Formats: sequence, structure tokens, C-alpha cells
Amino acid sequence: MTSKLRVSLMVTCLGDMFYPEVGVAIVRLLRRLGVAVDFPAGQTCCGLPLFNSGYHREAREVARRTVPLFRESEHVVVPSGSCAWMVKQEYPGLLADDAGAHREAQSLAARTWELSQLLVRKLGVTRLPSRVKGRVTYHDSCHLLRGLGEAESPRTVLRNLEGVELVELPGADQCCGFGGSFAVRLPEVSTSILDKKLASVESTGAECLVACDAGCLMQMGGGLARRGSRVKAVHLAQLLEDGA
Amino acid sequence: MAPAKPALERSGPHLREEDTLLSAPVESRSFPERAAGATRDRFLQQALTIATTRFVASRDEVFAAFPQGDALRDRARQIKEAVLQRLDHYLEQLTANVERAGGHVHFATTAEEARAIILDIARRNQVKLIVKGKSMAAEEIHLNEALEHAGMAVAETDLGEYIIQLAHERPSHIIAPAIHKTKAQIADLFARELRREVAADPEVITRLARGTLREKFLQADMGITGANFAVADTGTIVLVTNEGNGRMVTSLPRVHVALMGVEKVIPSMTDLVIFLQILARSATGQKLSSYTTLVRGPRRPTELEGPQELHLVLMDNGRVRQLAGTLREALYCLRCGACLNVCPVYRQIGGHAYGDTYPGPIGILMTAMLRGTPAVKDLAHASSLCGACAEVCPVRIDIPRMLIELREHLDREKIAPWPERLLFKACGWLLGRPALYRLAAPLARLGQAPFVRDGRIRSLPSFFGRWTRTRDLPAVAARTFGERWAALAREA
Amino acid sequence: MTTRAEFMERVRREMARTRGLFPARVAERPADPMTAAELVRRQLAERWPQALERFRQEFERLSGVFHAVASPSEVPAVVGRIARERSARRLITWSASALGADLGEGFRGEGLDAVAMPDDPVDEAAARELRAINAAAEIGITGADLAIGETGTLVLVSGRGRPRSTSLLPEYHFAVFDRRALVETLEQAGVMLEAWHADPADPMSGGVINFITGPSRTADIELTLTRGVHGPREVHAIFVSR
Repeated sequence: MTSKLRVSLMVTCLGDMFYPEVGVAIVRLLRRLGVAVDFPAGQTCCGLPLFNSGYHREAREVARRTVPLFRESEHVVVPSGSCAWMVKQEYPGLLADDAGAHREAQSLAARTWELSQLLVRKLGVTRLPSRVKGRVTYHDSCHLLRGLGEAESPRTVLRNLEGVELVELPGADQCCGFGGSFAVRLPEVSTSILDKKLASVESTGAECLVACDAGCLMQMGGGLARRGSRVKAVHLAQLLEDGA
Repeated sequence: MAPAKPALERSGPHLREEDTLLSAPVESRSFPERAAGATRDRFLQQALTIATTRFVASRDEVFAAFPQGDALRDRARQIKEAVLQRLDHYLEQLTANVERAGGHVHFATTAEEARAIILDIARRNQVKLIVKGKSMAAEEIHLNEALEHAGMAVAETDLGEYIIQLAHERPSHIIAPAIHKTKAQIADLFARELRREVAADPEVITRLARGTLREKFLQADMGITGANFAVADTGTIVLVTNEGNGRMVTSLPRVHVALMGVEKVIPSMTDLVIFLQILARSATGQKLSSYTTLVRGPRRPTELEGPQELHLVLMDNGRVRQLAGTLREALYCLRCGACLNVCPVYRQIGGHAYGDTYPGPIGILMTAMLRGTPAVKDLAHASSLCGACAEVCPVRIDIPRMLIELREHLDREKIAPWPERLLFKACGWLLGRPALYRLAAPLARLGQAPFVRDGRIRSLPSFFGRWTRTRDLPAVAARTFGERWAALAREA
Repeated sequence: MTTRAEFMERVRREMARTRGLFPARVAERPADPMTAAELVRRQLAERWPQALERFRQEFERLSGVFHAVASPSEVPAVVGRIARERSARRLITWSASALGADLGEGFRGEGLDAVAMPDDPVDEAAARELRAINAAAEIGITGADLAIGETGTLVLVSGRGRPRSTSLLPEYHFAVFDRRALVETLEQAGVMLEAWHADPADPMSGGVINFITGPSRTADIELTLTRGVHGPREVHAIFVSR
């Protein structure tokens, strides 16, 4: 590779407000890997919550103003599988009425990567140092797994972490019960799903529950904290921070 | 021999009272209330976990050993779409061939018409006792109530349906109607019915049901079934069962009535074989169900038994309108129930909480089809959109996408509650204004200050309590990523 | 009440409002079903031993009981042994012409009360009597028109001398067949179905065609598998190798 790879961070609304450390970890990680990282100004939210609740006019407007923010980006990295799915799978369709915007959305879709996919499938990086040691387990977030068809990349990274043992989570592919506004529309159902997920997490004996989606982390992390569990829910990027 | 009638007498006029008593509290609650109630029902939780876990494991196992399964699912999906594209042709062909084989075909635009047609057939044949095979279409039109109201006795003969009938309930799963009941509860039901002790042993209960229902099969004047498929090319009605009740119902009584939605028609035997290879695998994890019964016309002149009359009722009831509607894809459905078993919501709340004939993810779409979008105002949100349903559907119906479309319709038609619509529209407005959006974090930090402990929020008032009652919420960060970027940029 | 014309008109009106979701084709049927069926039979003339072995495996996996005998005259002994083990005596059977062998004497020789179904329709009184006999029978003997290796399925076509209920009402069902019934796959069975229906008057197009895959079963109570709900709790396949 002659010129340095350039990647723009789409930090997402949850990433910006609740998990800024994930974004920071991603920036530092990519820089260590020799990637130039920028953060295009004017980002808000990808519009997925609007879209999934049926507010498509509103989601379309969000897509229309988000796509041009990344016009100059060579690649875009997203810390959440669901937001990556929104950009890759839904933006082009939402903007289908406007030929120019549609083309631009398709181009953005092709340049957008969820973090683990960028690492493994684009950068070919699999061996990375780890901040933690010991037993970890991985939850497949629904949009990354079934939306983007990605089960392997996160596992590849985790399996190759030195001093880390990846234990498969029974029912890893089952929803954690977050589902965006679902979590507050039907809180008892959402919690009942979560309880089963967390029982499964605790059965693995892992100290660390890894996911690649801020929504799932909010749900599972919130549940683990409430039950006083010693298991920590962390984003993949947080494991990959340098030594400190 | 005296007809064994206690069950049927009880399901006469008394049923209505009991029904009201039983279902009144259920029906008066909203869907979110019913769903929340279901999550607190320990028996139900246990029954659901056992059942759905086994169903899912069996299905996964049988498909793992069936490499051609994926290609067959694609074929099946194509066939369903191709049939809808020439539905008139296949329905005409089916009608002509059923009639050629000596059967009668009826056309019902509404549930009411379907009931009237079947009642009329029963009356003309002076029917007293009816045996029924399992039929979601019959459930859909509340056929039993209509027949009983007209003074006829109706016996459900699928064991699960029979249990449900004894309990005066409705099925809670498309293929396992009594999935929500434990064996102890079922034994109690039988004990009450037969006025004797009944051990809580599936084997014992099944033997008892065999004896009771055998009498009814032999005495019944009319059999009613649904149809899993109807083959246009031959005029054949196809029934898939495990117990053999479908065979009894189509062999012993002198009249057979099959009720089916128009979308069940398929072109040929070659198409049938494609569907058979994926239906039982998806439903129960079997390669084939115990009995696949192909019925062509009434009894032949060379036959000793079989019905003298065969009637096929082709039903619209909201389906035809969807040919060009947003729910078209739901017309592919084979009613295998696979989407229920994998659905995290169904697995917590079971079928009854959905409050209509068809439960689970596909049930939401069917309810919208049968009753209109306003009927699924709440149900449309009974999904985390996890996509598990679409992944297992044998004909690859994109249920999550259709749920999103239903939600879109709820907003567009202003059926969704106005506070919700206002909130989402305000959010949309804010997301288009990054300068204002940047003020959200500082404002939230002010607002959350009284509630934050160690960077987490354990309790919030009113609406936000829906989250914090069971889960901690991370506090809005002291500095958002956006606020940290300037410093981070300098690190490079 | 909606008439056929009105109903179809409505279907056509709605169809006209859409071109559908994607280009799609129905399954491709054999151009000449008779020739296709003949081809399957020719293939099986060589491959039947493998098909039989697969059938046995699958059938036993369904808890079916497989027997092999050299000639039809040995069938009654097999049935007699099982009947004695189960304390069953009352037997009904397809007619001799439907079975392709007259086993009545043989069954009686085993001490079984055997009643063969008549080939020709009977009057109402006789029909009532037959129904009572069928309802009380413990053992049902039928032929099988196909035995499908892939799934362990027996296919029975109803018709003259072959009532629908012989394989349904008794607790123990025995199906007797030879290598001509064997096919390997459901797909091949589909070819046979097409061939049987090529001529609507063909008796093989059935009143009823039953695909029987193991015993009657239910899992409606706590998903616990229970056999013999309404139909037979045991299915036996007797392969005649002659």
C-alpha cells in the first residue's frame, strides 16, 4: 500500500453521548494500524430509530443530510452493526426517488464498514494486543449478524487476542431484547428476553461480554449492572485499546 | 349406543357464559398489558421455554442434515409468488378439477359468507355431529361457535385442539395449540370432563382422547378440515397431519367440507413435492409429517367408504385485497409456525397475548390482513426486529420489513398515538439541526444530575422508568465524543 | 352469496393492480409423466437394493418395524407372531386382488380372525357391518404402492378392495410390498404422482392417496412424543423379496 488508508468515523448518537470512550478507542486503534482517521463535522444520528418505528419521511431527511457529510471519505467506520446496516442497506432505498442522492447513498453504502469488518475484511488485521486477559464471550447483535450477515469477523479478532479465551455464548444469535423503542414500548417483554440472555452470559463464566453494537451494550450492560454482576459488557474496541 | 355427549352439551349455550367470564379480563386489557402479564406467568414461561427450545432445535437439526433445503426454500418462495401472479387461472383450474372429480366448490368473500355456506351444507345434510380436523382458517372465522349456535355438536379431533376445546380457549400456537398448558393442567381438564381420575401422563391422556374421539369419528355426519395445499392440476386437497385425525375426518363421515384461503392453491403435484420437503421440517423438524393425505373428490364408485359429498370452500376474507397490497408476501405463508418458535417476543408471551387467531410475527401480519391496520396499532411493535423469523421462514417472508411497513402506515394514516408521532417528528427535526443537537448533551447532563451515581442512573421518573425499573442507564458522558474530538485530533 | 364469476372478477381486478414482487416460475413438471415414471422405474430396477436399505433405516428411525420375507405366503407367519405378542386377533385386510395374494387361509392358520375387504360395493346393511368390523379390528393389512427410501414413507392409494381405513383404524398396521414399489426420493414419488394423474380416470389417481411416514403421533402435551393418537401406534413394513 503506497498511500495511507483514510477512514472517517461515524460515531453514532449513542456512541457520541453514552460511549465516547468507544470512539476514542477506535480512533487510537486505527491510528496504531497506520490509518488516518477523521471525524466529519455535523453528525447526529443515522435515523435508524425513526426508520424502524415507521417514521420514514423523517428518516429520509436524516439520510439526505447524512450522506453528503461523508462525501470525501475514503472509508467510513461505524461502531454499531445496526447503524452500519442502516447506512448500507436502507439509505439507498430511502433516497431512491432522487437519482443523485441515491447514487451517492449507494457509494456511501459500499464504503461503510462496521468496525470488526473493517479490521478483518478490509485491513486484514487479525492479531491485536488486548487490554484484558481471561475469558470473554461474544453476543451477536441482530443487525450485524442477520442484517449484514457477519458472524465471523468479531470472533476472528477475539480468538486471536493474546491471553484471551473466547467462550461461545449459548444462544449467542438470539436477540438481547433491546430493539430500540421496543425496550420501552414493551419493557416487561424486553426485560424477560434480557433475563434469559444474561443467564446464558453468566453460565459461560466469562468476565467480559463483548458486542459490536451500542444498543445491545446499553441493554445488556444495564441489566448486568442492575443485577450486580461481575461481568462487564464492553464494546470490541474497548478490548483493543493499547496496554493502558 | 348412546352418543358420548357431555363435552358437546357443555359447549352449547353454557359456553357463551363461561367464555365471557374467562375471556373478559383478557380482552379488556391492552396488548402491552396482556404481554406484561404473560411474562409474569411462571407456568406459561416454563411451557414456552420447553416447547420453543425443542421446536427450534429439531428444526435446526433437520435442516443441517438437508443441504438442498436452502435451494428448495427459494423454489418454494418462487412458486408462491408465481401462483399469485396467475391466481385467477389456478383458482379456475382448481375449481374445474374439483368439480370434475365430483366435488362442489363454493366462494366466500367474507368470514360471514364462509360460515353461512358451511352451515347451509350441514343443514341440508341434517348434520348433528361434526368432527373437525385442525384448521386455522376455521378458527379465523369462528366456525365452531356458528355451528354450535345452530344446534350442531362440534368435536375438535386434533389432540391439542380438543384440549383447547375442553378448556374453552383458543389455540396459542399455529401447530401446537395447547403449547401453553402443562400436563397437570390437561389431566385436570380431562378429569373434569370424564368425571374420573386422570393421571398427569401424556400417554394416559392420549389413550383417553383416542377412545372418546374414536366414537365421535364413527358417529359423525360431517367432517370439516382446512387444507395445507390444493393442487389445481388435479383438484386435490392436501392435508398434513401427525395424528391421523385428518384421515379419519375425510374417511368416515358422509360429508367432507374443506375450508381454505385462496392463497393455498398450488399448480401441480411437482410443486406439492417441493413444499412437502420443507413444510414438516420447518414445523416440527420431521422429514415428513406422519400423514400427508391427498383427497381427490368424494368416494369413488369402486370405494367402500369415504364421503358421499365433498365441498371445497374458497375463502377471501381480506386476502384478495392484499394481492396488490403491502401484505402480499404474507400470502406465501405455509402456517408452519417456525417464526413463532424463534421469535423472542413469542417466546416470552405465548400466543394468547396477541389476542387474535394467528399469533407470532406472521400472526401480526395476518391480523392486519384480516382486521385492518388499526387492529395492529400496538401489535406492530411486538417485535424487536431481530430478523430471526425471516431467517427460518421456509418461503423467506421478510416479516421484519413488513412490520416496519405496517408501522409506517400507522404514522401515515395517523393511527399511531399523537404524542408518539409528535415525539418522533420532533426527534427527526432535531437530527436535521446539528447545532441544536449539540445542545442536547449539556441539557441532558443538567437534567440527569440528580439521578447519576457512579456514572449510572438507577431510577428515573415517569416514562423513563420503563427503562430504569429493570436496567441501569449509562449517564450522558461528561464529554461527548464530539466534545473530545478536537483534543483527539491533535494526538495524531 | 358471492358467485364464482363475482369472486373471480374480484381476484382479477386486484391482480391487475400489481405486476407482482419479482419474476417467478412454478415448478417444472415432467413433459411426459409416463416416460419420466418409466425412467424412474428403470433406474430403480438396478438401484432398488440401496433404496430398500435406505427405506429400512429411515423407517426404523420412525420406530417402524421392518420385516423381509421371501414370498407372500410367509406374511401371515410374521403377522401372527406379532399378533400373539400383542394379544391381538381381529384382522382386516385389503382384498386378495388388491394385495396381489390371497392370504386369508394363512391368517386363519395363525389363529387370526381375518376379514378381507370386498372388491365390489356392498349394500347399506353390509356396509354398516363392515364398518363395525373395521372399527373393532386390531390389525390392518394393506399393500403399498410406493415405499420412499429418503423418508421411510409408505404411499397407499385407496380404491377397489383397498379401503382408506384399513391402514388407519387398527392399532397395528402392516404394509406388504415388493421391490416394484421402491423409489429413492420424494422427488421421484412426485414423478409417480404426475404419472398417476396423467389420465384422470386412472384408478391410481385415487379417491385418497396417503403418504404414511411412521405411526400416528402427537406432541401436543408438553411436546412429549406419544404414539397411536387416532391412527396406528405401530407400523410394520413387510418386504417380499420374491
